Amino acid sequence: MTFLTKAPACLLAMLLATTAHAEVESTDPIKLTLHDWTGQLITTTIMGDVLKKAGYNVEYVQADYLAQFAGMRTGDLDVAMELWATTAKEALDEAVATGDVVNMGETGMKAIEEWWYPSYMEESCPGLPNWEALKDCAEAFSTPETAPKGRYLGGPVTWGGYDEERVEALGLDFEVVHAGTDAALFAELEAAYQRKDPIILWIYSPHWAPAKYEGKFVEFPAYSKECYEDPAVGLNPDMAYDCGKPSGPIYKAAWKGVDAKWPGAAKAIRAFTLTNEDMGAMVGAVDLDGKTVEDVAADWVAKNEAIWSAWIK
Amino acid sequence: MTALHRLIRDPRLFWGGLFALTLALSLFAGDLAKDIGAKWVMKFPKPLELPLDKLISAAMKWLLEEAAIGPLSFHAVTRFISALIEAPYLAVRGLLVDGLQRGQGSYAVQILPPLSWIAVTTIFCLLAWRSGRRGLVGLVGACFLYLAVFGRWESAMATLASVLISVPMGVAGGVALGILAFRHPWAERAMRPVLDLMQTVPVFAYLVPILFMFGFGPTAALVATVIYAMPPMVRLTTLALREVPEEVAEAGRMAGCTRRQLLWKCLIPTAMPMLMVGVNQVIMLSLNMVIIASMIGAGGLGYDVLTALRKLDIGGGVEAGVAIVVMAIALDRLSQAEARRVPGTGRGGRLVWIGLAVILATSALGYVLPFVQTYPAGATLTTGTIWAQAIEWININLYDHIEAVKVAILIGLLLPVKGFFLGIPWAWGIVAMGLIGWRMAGWRLGLMALLMTGFIALTGFWPEAMITVYLCGVSVFVAMLIGVPLGIWAGQSDRANTVLSALIDTLQTLPSFVYLIPVVMLFRVGDFSAMIAVVAYSIVPAIRYAAHGIREIDPQMVEAGIVSGCTRRQILWRIKLPLALPSLIVGMNQTVMLALSMLVITALVGTRDLGQQVYMALTKANTGQGIVAGLCVAFIAIMVDRILTAAARGMERGEAGHG
Amino acid sequence: MDRPVMLDCRGVWKLYGPNAETFLARHGAPTAETLRAAHLVGAVRAADVTIRKGEIFVIMGLSGSGKSTLVRCLSRLIEPSGGEVRFEGRDLLQMGEAELIDLRRKRMGMVFQHFALLPHLTVLQNAAFPLEVQGIDRKTREDRARAVIELVGLQGREGHYPRQLSGGQQQRVGIARSLIVEPDLWFLDEPFSALDPLIRREMQDELLRLQARLQKTIVFITHDFDEAIRLADRIAVMKDGAIVQTATPEELVLNPADAYVAEFTQHVARAKVVRLATIMAPLGAGPFAGDLPGQARVGDVADAVERADLPHRVLDEAGQPVGQVARQAVVDVLIGREVPR
Ligand SMILES: Nc1ncnc2c1ncn2[C@@H]1O[C@H](COP(=O)(O)OP(=O)(O)O)[C@@H](O)[C@H]1O
Ligand SMILES: [Mg+2]
Repeated sequence: MTFLTKAPACLLAMLLATTAHAEVESTDPIKLTLHDWTGQLITTTIMGDVLKKAGYNVEYVQADYLAQFAGMRTGDLDVAMELWATTAKEALDEAVATGDVVNMGETGMKAIEEWWYPSYMEESCPGLPNWEALKDCAEAFSTPETAPKGRYLGGPVTWGGYDEERVEALGLDFEVVHAGTDAALFAELEAAYQRKDPIILWIYSPHWAPAKYEGKFVEFPAYSKECYEDPAVGLNPDMAYDCGKPSGPIYKAAWKGVDAKWPGAAKAIRAFTLTNEDMGAMVGAVDLDGKTVEDVAADWVAKNEAIWSAWIK
Repeated sequence: MTALHRLIRDPRLFWGGLFALTLALSLFAGDLAKDIGAKWVMKFPKPLELPLDKLISAAMKWLLEEAAIGPLSFHAVTRFISALIEAPYLAVRGLLVDGLQRGQGSYAVQILPPLSWIAVTTIFCLLAWRSGRRGLVGLVGACFLYLAVFGRWESAMATLASVLISVPMGVAGGVALGILAFRHPWAERAMRPVLDLMQTVPVFAYLVPILFMFGFGPTAALVATVIYAMPPMVRLTTLALREVPEEVAEAGRMAGCTRRQLLWKCLIPTAMPMLMVGVNQVIMLSLNMVIIASMIGAGGLGYDVLTALRKLDIGGGVEAGVAIVVMAIALDRLSQAEARRVPGTGRGGRLVWIGLAVILATSALGYVLPFVQTYPAGATLTTGTIWAQAIEWININLYDHIEAVKVAILIGLLLPVKGFFLGIPWAWGIVAMGLIGWRMAGWRLGLMALLMTGFIALTGFWPEAMITVYLCGVSVFVAMLIGVPLGIWAGQSDRANTVLSALIDTLQTLPSFVYLIPVVMLFRVGDFSAMIAVVAYSIVPAIRYAAHGIREIDPQMVEAGIVSGCTRRQILWRIKLPLALPSLIVGMNQTVMLALSMLVITALVGTRDLGQQVYMALTKANTGQGIVAGLCVAFIAIMVDRILTAAARGMERGEAGHG
Repeated sequence: MDRPVMLDCRGVWKLYGPNAETFLARHGAPTAETLRAAHLVGAVRAADVTIRKGEIFVIMGLSGSGKSTLVRCLSRLIEPSGGEVRFEGRDLLQMGEAELIDLRRKRMGMVFQHFALLPHLTVLQNAAFPLEVQGIDRKTREDRARAVIELVGLQGREGHYPRQLSGGQQQRVGIARSLIVEPDLWFLDEPFSALDPLIRREMQDELLRLQARLQKTIVFITHDFDEAIRLADRIAVMKDGAIVQTATPEELVLNPADAYVAEFTQHVARAKVVRLATIMAPLGAGPFAGDLPGQARVGDVADAVERADLPHRVLDEAGQPVGQVARQAVVDVLIGREVPR
């Protein structure tokens, strides 16, 4: 019975499929890239949901964060929703310079990256979060391999970050150890946190970690472009990098053909913004509370019609 | 002159002298060079470095953007191939995951559902049934049930779809090239180095060019998988055809076969059991690639593992990882049963009808009873936080002991070895490798080692290469230290063998990423964690070949020992081990190869070796750097392989090397 | 002995080793020493063989003496390094691929030491294989296959696979396969060497039975001299690639060409090879106990001769009496006294 009623319904849907979305410029699917961290999945799914609401055909494609530029240059991939100034600026600028990729503006979210420690470390190193405290209590952060130096766990070398230079310029008695991936980074934090062991490491936000673990970012002298480029600027007159890390916007980017092929969608993508707070909460809902990305994104879309309807007007 | 002659002749003097000299240089050359201001001794002068990486990148760019034969651009050709591969992939994927769809992207409408989980499980059980082994049916059924019950069905089917495409491609390509090499000696000569490189250059190194050529998505992943999984098929095909008894070929020719008939009607069918071993290898290697393939858009179980571990969801990672193991075991046992199947036994045609009936019945029923079509989400199991809690418990309660052991090994073994290798001046390294190669197998190998080591120094990867050698060396040492006794045990006791086989299967197919995260939690980021990951993966051949070597010993040898009054210990040390030595060396060779192939993974915990260079090149889409660093890895692997092969051969002949 | 020549080979060489192919052209007829100096193996050296229609021609020699290589030169499974092979007067070595395939499909059959059956085919399919590659339709070829399977006594096992059969049975399949094209020239390379002694005898009998029916021209290889004299019309003895002597079993036993051949023959019971025609005395006046063919071997008729008080008359092939044989002559052979020529 059900089968008999469903089959014609399917056929009908098939016939209607071509006509139902006729009002958009092109019914070809817009390909949005997915990476392997939750925040990006949420951002992309929200964008996708909104585009669908506007009648566009949307397809998600898994792609490597940096390798995706190759795909966007040829039009194999259309839109990347989270390109952090801190990690992908070079690649983005390079891709934009070829003329095949367009920067679609900021997402409104700010990437923060900095040295971070769990709160319980304030006991053994009371002056924190002021960075100068680290000068005196490096040994509190040491491990047998690095003792008497402190051990700072940096991000993967591919992230850059100039931590070796910073340590030297600021006269910190730390050894920089690089994690290979961010999974390893947070695995070590999780383990140290369980044992209440000393740890200080590179953390970025928006991310679930600052929400899950109690702790603070170290306050270094504020970043400036000059501080990175000119040794004279900053505390140490002889060396550059004697300040904190830059925080930067998170960009969106698209294949150059998107503007022509789906002008309405391009407008919506340019208009898309979210706040760090919203994103932090949603990432926590997925990674800590175990909800699915789809549900969390749908939830946001349901609650914020006023916001996204303006994007697709 | 005679003193020199003696030095070369006497193995003890030669090896002792070489080591002593290297050690002395490693200890003092650095300081000495610093004192006299000759930095170039330790560090290859930058201006002299070969800009090979830039050349390769430029060549690649030209190939992709400008190369063309007439109106047909290279890019168009690769894209055409890509489309050719994608079509069957999408068909299989439709069958297993997406169903028959109309339209693309979010417009897509499902017209027919994919095969139901019951249908797929039944089909595989029927395949097992065909071999006539009841136990196998149970095993395969259990494996597929695991996938459904632990909620991995859809990902598993996506992975299965890529395996079902990449395996036939790898097998067909491998057989074709293998036949070519069998028929034409020149083809074999030309292919051998290429195959060596395919097997030893880390996949990450050629991922970037493949992405450029074949575009994003599943095709690139499939191509990478095929490149990685095909070489053993080529080699085994050539070998299998060669091992067909000459008489069978002659019987074919006397029956009046043409060349083609001879190949397809006589040689290939006779070689089939060995060809099936090759198929089995292709399956296993394809499954090894699941994680890497998922990084470039293949999705499936590999993606599940990656995302779970990024969330530190250890349980989720383990479940997805075990799903890969389970699938590998099912496919492995099926293909092995097929290889061993006595022609004419087992059941045939009727099964096709049963299979079709189940497909139709479940598809129709699925419309009425959804659980027949898709395993109900409500009925899935999960280990939840058990794994995470177990790790947490160990972490909190046993950490101090773990840390103590770790520090001891680090300070007693890892750091000194690292210092030794990093201290070797590059020029001496080149000379020493040349000497070793020459001593083991004559001037050809010596020259080859000289050139390959020279390449590494010349391209500016010397320090990274030394870290690679150190890390792999130590890991292989530890793997042999643990693996050989286990293998000996397995070789002497059937029960031990059963237990260890299960361990070996798991270690071989469980993506190392799954245990990398707990390892990092317990041992922190650093060389020690990397070493554990490498050991866990590369211990497999150490165990396997040791067991094999012991088991292959002629029982009469042991009996001879018993009647001459040897104790059990004497039998092991005086008879079994010496006889098993060539096999142990082969095992060590394989261990080195696997250790090197794990390099890229060690980069994920932050070592500063060639693996990291390859990985960095990947993330920066730097084709040249990736390929050059990959070649360095390959050259190390090839040198070790040739030297150990020569050693094993020398040992079988009962000589102590080349004079 | 003036039956037509089927296969004629003159000065055939097969060398293995570095530059083997050009060596012969440069050196003409090298000696064993020059070959050794050039690191070459002379697997077959200057072999002359003439095989006549309907005879069983045995090539005998120790293992490694070049028998297999020679027979493969005769069937051109391997390319001889030099010499000439003629099949019914046609130059085998000049034939093109197609011609050769045609010849093998229609005129030649071969049986192998290790059976060389195809493991993925049943007994029936194995036997039908030569017809299958000719593209003959299934029904015809399976009917013919059934007939040859019956001929070798394997009926009822058509559906079995080779590995389900014993060695003797497998070789019967090999024989069936080689006979299905009804070849005129039949090569057997040590067909029974891999079998147990009892089975081996049985198979030899079987071969003689088949030959009595089929009258093929047979080239039979063996390293077993007993087998050779049992089956052969003529034997070629090989040593180190060269043919030392070609003769009937009887001549071989009575007149070995050299010490090497004598080594084989000395333990052979004379009665098994010596024919009545060889030991007969001139025909007397009689009376006679009966008639015996001159071709009969002494061992086979010894009982009859011994039992009779009178001598037997010996007939030639045409049935004409040519001599007589008495008890004493037979006893001499049986106990190994020097045989008078
Ligand atoms: N393909 C080959 N390459 C090199 N030497 C061979 C080859 N085939 C046979 N020989 C050598 O030729 C000689 C004769 O071999 P073969 O004809 O097989 O002897 P038989 O059949 O009498 O045992 C042997 O010394 C053998 O080693
Ligand atoms: Mg032979």
